[in-house]
Amino acid sequence: MIFNSLTFVVFFAAVLAAYWAIPSWGARKNILLGASYLFYAAWNPPFVLLLVLSTLIDHVAGARMAAATRPAARKAWLAFSLVANLGMLGYFKYGTFVLENFQALLALAGITYVPPQMNIVLPVGISFYTFQTLSYSLDIYRGQMAPVRSFRDFALYVTFFPQLVAGPIVRAVDFLPQMVNAPRPQAGRMAWGLFLMTLGLFQKAVLADTLLSGAADSVFGFRGPLAGLDAWTGVLAFSGQIFFDFAGYSTCAIGASLCLGFSLGDNFRFPYAAVGFSDFWRRWHLSLSTFLRDYLYIPLGGNRSGAARMVINLVIVMLLGGLWHGAAWTFVVWGLIHGLMLVLERGLRHLFKDAAWTQTLGVQLLLGLATYVVVCIAWVFFRAGNFGTALGLLAAMTGNLPIAGEAILSTRQIAQVALVTVGLLGAHWLLRHTTLEAVVARSPRWVLSGVWSLMLFTLILNQGNGNAFIYFQF
Amino acid sequence: MPWRAVLTATALLTFAATAGWELAARAQGYGPSPDDNADLWAEQRAKVRPDSLVLVGTSRMLFNADLDVLEQALGRRPIQLALAGSSPFPILENLAQDESFRGTVILDIVPAMFLAPGGPPMEVSQKALARYREWTPAQRWSHAIGKPLDAGLAFINQDDLALPKLLERIQLPERAAFKSPPKLPPYFFAVDGDRRGRMVPEAAVIGSPLQQRVAHGWLPLFSPPPPPSFIPAEQFMAMMGQAIEARFGQTARLIADIRARGGKVVFVRMPVQGPLVEREEMLAPLAATWHRLVRENAVPAINFTDHAELSAFTLPEWSHLSAPDSVEFTKRLAPHLQRALSHGDATATANLVMPGPVSG
Repeated sequence: MIFNSLTFVVFFAAVLAAYWAIPSWGARKNILLGASYLFYAAWNPPFVLLLVLSTLIDHVAGARMAAATRPAARKAWLAFSLVANLGMLGYFKYGTFVLENFQALLALAGITYVPPQMNIVLPVGISFYTFQTLSYSLDIYRGQMAPVRSFRDFALYVTFFPQLVAGPIVRAVDFLPQMVNAPRPQAGRMAWGLFLMTLGLFQKAVLADTLLSGAADSVFGFRGPLAGLDAWTGVLAFSGQIFFDFAGYSTCAIGASLCLGFSLGDNFRFPYAAVGFSDFWRRWHLSLSTFLRDYLYIPLGGNRSGAARMVINLVIVMLLGGLWHGAAWTFVVWGLIHGLMLVLERGLRHLFKDAAWTQTLGVQLLLGLATYVVVCIAWVFFRAGNFGTALGLLAAMTGNLPIAGEAILSTRQIAQVALVTVGLLGAHWLLRHTTLEAVVARSPRWVLSGVWSLMLFTLILNQGNGNAFIYFQF
Repeated sequence: MPWRAVLTATALLTFAATAGWELAARAQGYGPSPDDNADLWAEQRAKVRPDSLVLVGTSRMLFNADLDVLEQALGRRPIQLALAGSSPFPILENLAQDESFRGTVILDIVPAMFLAPGGPPMEVSQKALARYREWTPAQRWSHAIGKPLDAGLAFINQDDLALPKLLERIQLPERAAFKSPPKLPPYFFAVDGDRRGRMVPEAAVIGSPLQQRVAHGWLPLFSPPPPPSFIPAEQFMAMMGQAIEARFGQTARLIADIRARGGKVVFVRMPVQGPLVEREEMLAPLAATWHRLVRENAVPAINFTDHAELSAFTLPEWSHLSAPDSVEFTKRLAPHLQRALSHGDATATANLVMPGPVSG
């Protein structure tokens, strides 16, 4: 079920009431586990079996790995976990993509091959929970944590419903210790959790779905040449939509977890105020960027093996990061742009060595704006779905169309996107060195009540259609 | 932070704003009614049994067919699957592809809508079908939970009072190059839980602002859209022509499939009046569309123009019957349907198809 639905409102209220009403910590964890399976089954009940299988594999692999005395046995159990998890992910997410590319390759060689129709349905959230279980096995292999004995606790770590389907990707080492002692109900924590849930839903339902998605869908769905203004508006709309959609989900997840007494780390820190791509990835989807850093970039050698190796490592990591989002070459190009920009940034830093003039407000603002523009250009490939649409949009954005493009967005749509984009960039820039908690703590209570009730009333007014979150498809 | 005070103030402010909005909605004439959304349609589609009597079509079927009257006349309560602003072709296709279905389809044909090769008319039907096919348990539960809210609150109206619709009311000067798509008519009907649609009373009052807005909204909607600038006009028209030609063949195959399983299909052409008659004729001439469909499929067909008692109504906004007239219209339509369904197809066709001169 999705957060922006009546089902979730009723479900969460019932879970919260039952969870805090029962004194036994074990029984409360059972309730959470049952609720998490129900939450997942509400999409497609059979896929719960896949979730259970994934949990079982890593629970067994983790225990055997820790018990193994020979390095070869430890390696074998790690390989079992990797093959099983990545195999499942590969089959469901990349099976069709691989077959299509295989077919295209054979066609290049003049061989006609018609692959069988696989009709694979992607289980929602598989990329997220697979990475979670993998992190558990990898951490045990590296001796960074001990295996958890209780299957129930491990299963709850894998399936914890607030972040199950779209993150943040939670590490076992951060989550499992929170299951040792029962959290106590705290009014402040609960209220802050509810505030975050409201904010997350507002970002998703009002800002992403109502104010931005229309323009983004129209522009990316248009098959002809577009006027430059329309192309830029659509791309800016998508850049805002994907932020509000994904950050909205993360904010809801963090809020819901807080209401249940669990703490999850931040997943976004005002990313459109980033100055440079390193800064961007310290602010955007932190749980993925740190996962890729710790389990891929550093094991590949990171920046410890010379400049050339670092460049290769950065590009590999970002290419795979792109492919993680979806099985299409457009996602690979998105990752490649980010990888190349990270490399370029390292080169420029090496050249200018953080000279004083680069730290002035004006230069920082210009660099921040440049970062945002390139991030937006990369979003074109992320959203377009095919290279024809992406290149057509880029041509329209740069005024390189052979004929006049069509004006397809109304003035109201353009105004909506402009207002939200200016507000988004302004807010990110103003808040780039602080946190939401600090801002709220400084706010008068009447301002907080006013803003909170305005968000709630707008959500009620919105009567959302329960559009799925974009990141569910990843 | 004094959270207790903040929470209390937030709850009070939100309640006051919501209550105020509810009162404002009621003061504007809105009342509680179900939203005619994809969930409500999927709920009705899920009720279709092998021998069901199913109504398929556009808003004309939705507004004009009274389910109680049809149940009384035909012995079975029909399931209303007509969709406002839709091409019913995808729904017909869905029923034909449902191997278990061998019931009766009463198909309202507005030729320009039925033969639309793509665009919004097809998307409306496809969206409803997608919800039916991919209806998750969570979506079903949300639909069930939402029903009491729909039944109690007037402001819950996704068609007219949801935030996206309120934003659409903002009118700003447009760029010269912007080709504004024709606007859909304002909210002017409500459905009940069985999707029996009824025109709201104000829309039926000739000369009322709502009636004027609805009536004059049809002409641009029934005008052919300009061909896209990036395809040569001749090539575009040829593509459209091929798609429409293919639709005739597809329709024949779908109807043959339903009939091969023992099912029945009846065509109905619902009343239309005023300048809309000429506009529809220009867009999709009856001789080349309705009469061809009837001829090629040899199914019973009821054209309102062939029957004085079906043509004797005044349509307030040229396209639909008022709620009271729809009951009387259905009573008059019922004997024709009875005859069509009880006779053999060939006989019924001979009796009912009147490919004579077309009149408005």
